Amino acid sequence: MQLSRLLGLQVIDAGSHPVGTVVDIRLTIASDPEENPPTPRVVGLVISPRTKSSFLGYERSGATAPAMLAAIARWRHRGTFLAAWEDVARIGSEQVKLRSGYTRYSAVLASAD
Amino acid sequence: MSELSALPHRGHLLDARLHLLDRQLLDHEDDPVGIVDDLELSGIEVDTDINPGAEAPQVTGLLSGQVLATRIFGGVPPRSHLQEIPWSVVACVAVVVKLKPTDVTIEVEWVERWLRDRIIKHIPGGRHAAE
Repeated sequence: MQLSRLLGLQVIDAGSHPVGTVVDIRLTIASDPEENPPTPRVVGLVISPRTKSSFLGYERSGATAPAMLAAIARWRHRGTFLAAWEDVARIGSEQVKLRSGYTRYSAVLASAD
Repeated sequence: MSELSALPHRGHLLDARLHLLDRQLLDHEDDPVGIVDDLELSGIEVDTDINPGAEAPQVTGLLSGQVLATRIFGGVPPRSHLQEIPWSVVACVAVVVKLKPTDVTIEVEWVERWLRDRIIKHIPGGRHAAE
């Protein structure tokens, strides 16, 4: 499956209530990405309840400056969360369905601080 | 967003769109050979329930090719317009994505070569443009 077919899909919960849109896919690489990185594995989906796009990842970093830009990004992307792959029940051609009782994790990239 | 807990994980985290898409591809001699236009993910069956505990999908390759039309008009480029570069030839993911020496022929720049050979070189001085 191409990544581009996954980005932008609507996400619903187990009760078919919309929770947002897939704006990115979080990956993990077992060793240093700059030295012969092994195959990345999907960790989860970054889901935004309000936007269908990312603002250059600003909302996923700990950046607080420039203050106005940071405030706008935080407001625009408020509620963005990471859903673990284990909590994904089904990938459809139009929607992604999460499992009942899924957990919302922080979308902030720890290494981006 | 910040009050949510972090997902436990191992290894280095990166976001596909943020850290891979649109990155320049360089070959082992640091010559540009294309752009990362898409990724190929294995282990996702569309419209099929995912078993709890199923292995997470993997990125098996980078896709690069002719995407100008879909960038302008929207949509997703047909798979046939994209060349897959296996992840096994990726040497480094940083500001650019560098590739290892490989036997894989990367043909994503044929439009540029066609333009160079058919149009640019007929412009006075165009034969020396690369110099």
